[in-house]
Amino acid sequence: MTAIIDVSAVDRPVIVITRDFDAPRELVWKAITDPKQVAVWYGGPGFTNPVCEMDLRPGGTWHHVMQAPNGARYTINSVFEEIVEPELLVWRTIKDPNRNPPPPTSVNTVTLEAHGQQTRWKLVTLFDSIADRDLSAKMGFGQMISMGTDRMAAHLETLQGVQDHG
Amino acid sequence: MATGDATVKELAEPYDMSVAAVSKHLKVLEAAGLISQGRQSQWRPRHLEAGPLREVFEWLEDYRRFWDRSLDSLAEHLRVLQLQNTGKKRDRSKRTRHASIIKEGNKE
Repeated sequence: MTAIIDVSAVDRPVIVITRDFDAPRELVWKAITDPKQVAVWYGGPGFTNPVCEMDLRPGGTWHHVMQAPNGARYTINSVFEEIVEPELLVWRTIKDPNRNPPPPTSVNTVTLEAHGQQTRWKLVTLFDSIADRDLSAKMGFGQMISMGTDRMAAHLETLQGVQDHG
Repeated sequence: MATGDATVKELAEPYDMSVAAVSKHLKVLEAAGLISQGRQSQWRPRHLEAGPLREVFEWLEDYRRFWDRSLDSLAEHLRVLQLQNTGKKRDRSKRTRHASIIKEGNKE
């Protein structure tokens, strides 16, 4: 798995996460769009999902309550924006006023790429930053650091190349 | 800046970016309270305000960890599903064989 904080967007931070699954795409699609299945894996080991209701159509809502191992419950409400079976799922999270500070809202795009009997799952999360000025500005800095390390790596490669040739 | 205060020129040096471009980024960061500007000399070195940054990285790390955990569970879920499917297919083919044997038996 890789997690990349995108270097290009300064105002709207982006996180990209990819994972390869040993399963055909149709099966992965069902696993991420069938609420009964989502409730099984969402959150990971120790987490349960007492509520997972998905109205799978553009404009349809995804009402979700996740329970952490310590019993804390998190409500996550989203709206589906785009659904192209079995390859594209886009949802937007809705601001939760009950959480302080509220997590930043985001548009989440999952694409499923078929590679034979394997499937590449890719999530691109685009955070809203204008409303969450404080957090987003901070997150913008996270990107700068990421950009710094990326560019630094490239720079070091260049340096090594110069040395190799010199 | 993590290793000490730095001037814009020093910050821009390792990157393929103009001093002006770095300066623009720094202004955004300063407005957000993440860095501060010294005033003791004409170079005005920038100082990293580490407190709020930690929160951001913690949040980003939590977010990444959330998906990491979820995807581990999803992988396991998919594995079990496929095992079950193979099991069912085997059962079906057994039944089909069995049915055809019965049919053949009836023919006789």
